[in-house]
Amino acid sequence: MAHERDSNIILLVEDTDSDAALVSSAFDRAGIANPIHRVADGEQAVSYLQGIGTYADRKQHPLPAVILLDLNMPRFNGYQVMLWLRTQTELKRIPVVVLTESKDSESINRAYDAGANSYLVKPGEPGEIQRVVEILAEYWMSLNETPRLAFRSGSQR
Amino acid sequence: MNDERKFVLLVEDDPNDARLIQRCFDRTALPVQVMRLQDGDEAVAYLDGVAPYDNRVSHPLPCVVLLDLKLPRRSGLEVLQWIRSRTYELRRLPVVMLTSSHHAVDINRAYDLGANSYLVKPETIEQLTELVGLVKRYWLTINRDPRVTVS
Amino acid sequence: MAVIKPMDRTDRRGAGRQILHSEAAFRSLIESVHDYAILMLDPQGIIVTWNPGAEHIKGYSADEIIGQHFSVFYPAEDRQAGKPEFELAVASRTGRFEDENWRLRKDGSRFWANVTITRLNDEAGNLIGFGKITRDLTERRRAEQRYRQLIESVSDYAIFSLDPSGIVTSWNLGAERIKGYSAEEIIGQHFSRFYPPEYLAAGLPAYVLAQAEQNGHWEGEGWRLRKDGSRFWSSAVVTAIRDEDGDLVGFSKVTRDITDRKLLLDQIKEHAAKLELRVKEREQTNADLEAFSYSVSHDLRAPLRAIQGFASALKEDYADTLDATATSYLTTISDSALRMNRLVQDLLNYSRLNRIDIESQPVSVAEALEQARLELADSPGEIAVHVAPGLQVAAHESTLVQVLFNLLSNALKFHLPEVIPKVAVTAAPLDDGSVRISITDNGIGIAPQHQERIFNVFERLHGQETYPGTGIGLAIVKRGMQRMHGKVGLQSADGDGSTFWVELPAVNA
Repeated sequence: MAHERDSNIILLVEDTDSDAALVSSAFDRAGIANPIHRVADGEQAVSYLQGIGTYADRKQHPLPAVILLDLNMPRFNGYQVMLWLRTQTELKRIPVVVLTESKDSESINRAYDAGANSYLVKPGEPGEIQRVVEILAEYWMSLNETPRLAFRSGSQR
Repeated sequence: MNDERKFVLLVEDDPNDARLIQRCFDRTALPVQVMRLQDGDEAVAYLDGVAPYDNRVSHPLPCVVLLDLKLPRRSGLEVLQWIRSRTYELRRLPVVMLTSSHHAVDINRAYDLGANSYLVKPETIEQLTELVGLVKRYWLTINRDPRVTVS
Repeated sequence: MAVIKPMDRTDRRGAGRQILHSEAAFRSLIESVHDYAILMLDPQGIIVTWNPGAEHIKGYSADEIIGQHFSVFYPAEDRQAGKPEFELAVASRTGRFEDENWRLRKDGSRFWANVTITRLNDEAGNLIGFGKITRDLTERRRAEQRYRQLIESVSDYAIFSLDPSGIVTSWNLGAERIKGYSAEEIIGQHFSRFYPPEYLAAGLPAYVLAQAEQNGHWEGEGWRLRKDGSRFWSSAVVTAIRDEDGDLVGFSKVTRDITDRKLLLDQIKEHAAKLELRVKEREQTNADLEAFSYSVSHDLRAPLRAIQGFASALKEDYADTLDATATSYLTTISDSALRMNRLVQDLLNYSRLNRIDIESQPVSVAEALEQARLELADSPGEIAVHVAPGLQVAAHESTLVQVLFNLLSNALKFHLPEVIPKVAVTAAPLDDGSVRISITDNGIGIAPQHQERIFNVFERLHGQETYPGTGIGLAIVKRGMQRMHGKVGLQSADGDGSTFWVELPAVNA
């Protein structure tokens, strides 16, 4: 057995419903079986990662293998999520892929400074989304080694 | 940014691995320039612009570093630490670990120190070709590079 | 004792009736006494009256005993010594004889009696007989004996008292036994002589008394000296004794020699320290082995990658100049390198199984199977899993996944060329509280004579061309199950498919 697959879920942090739907269906059409959990803002993302409230059951809400993060969100935006994540001893290892509309260099630089592992721009055309999603899924879910966190899905490692 | 020929820095001490990886880069779509360095000190010197790497025309900064863990002189993690501790733009440089270790300790430590991604050298060259192809499609095509120089 | 006057028959009317009444009253009193033998003897000692108490205590009925001499109650040696006569003589002369001694019951058994013999006179003062009251003190004697034994057994404790300044004022057997001083030797001496010099230098005796006076008592453990100068480890309690006004009148001290216990405790501590050291050493050894196998893994696999890589590269880059034979050689080189890589991996896995800590946790069977299955997604064949989602076993998760992966991989591998491998996985709880996970395939089966061998390292039943493999997969399964305190087994016949099963303790969610 080559590697252990620690987690296979994707946490999608996206406030725009239509964009979230586009991403989800792109994953479906690409035949990607990994479950996607969507939260609509940064606060919920933090709650999910902390495992508080509705997200307390780690069996139902396991820690993700990768976080797809929009930047511009109400209440708690993508930068704030990333800055918070850095303060978390183990959670900070989870790869964060920014998936957002802004393509200006300031946003890009700021995102990397905040701790983004990667920065992707939401393409305009739906066909493009498909391509991006396929590549990103293949890269982060099949190829990349996910960090090993002690408290994934309730089991000790 | 996405139409220039992309430049990759490969820090790999094993000459065989380096050669095979280079071959995969050559034989996959999307022409990419690969510079290979064989130890950690060389990697730091290159990124720091220390002679003989001080000419940024002939030795430009890469858009991604493929970094092995076990290196002579300075280890891959030390190189990573050096990059991330820069107070200037270079700290943002995307670093992808490319190593034979699949041990949790190494993986976690790399992420803790700020590696963007961690890849394990596969068994066969066929798989290596796939890996390099995917690295190109991801890091050198759809990923947006941060600015790593003072413009 | 009242003087019993003989019946006066001269005056029947009035006084006579009174006497009749008082006599009757007395008689009923005596008749009603059950715990005392009250009897009358004539001047020679013949038994004249008998009461229920006498019957109860001595066992004779009135008919049996009246008319007999009272010496029958005495043990043989006392009769021979003339005791009964002697006691009557004393009672006759002085009016009374009292004694505690052995007496005999009717059945010959002895009892400890308190006996009072009283001289009975008429009005003129002439002897008319004796009254005898006997009481059975057996119970009381037994109680006294038990109490005495109790005190004696407190030879384990030195119990003694001190005056307010610390002078020894009383001493018990235990104190003599433990400390070596007799009562005469030690009473009047100061209790500080029991303390070793270093304690005296620290002022401990005065401190102890001060604490006891202040707090009511002091408790502590420490070295004390015996009379012969030897040391013993003591556990002592000093209690302040106060009078009704609350003034200190002295101290009581109870000391126990617990040297043996201390020695034992010290030994245990030493053993525990040694054990801890050994555990640390073993952990260090394991850490060294881990680092060693890590390096081995890294350094062995690099050249293998090179062999595989360059052989394949050669095949590709020079395809047009290589003939079929050359190409096949290169394929062989490449495949061999791959095989060696797998071998190294499996060997490292196997050795790791022996080294790592396997702590069992509740593991979901369905989830473990899913993880194993994911790794086999690219292998041809079907795996049908029928396992209840809530089923849990006590296992080490990654080891269980490894075990299941190996079994599933085998199940998919060993089939005839034209057959599509089909594997069914079930899990069921057993009566003994364990869960059996069964993996059934439609493959080539295993003949009974091979079924034990295949679990050994490097054992293979087929050549590499028929079915490739390292020969370590089942060894890992067996070792993994052993380390998780589970079982592994198989049912199979040549050509008939196989069912491999593993058992682990169930965990009730």
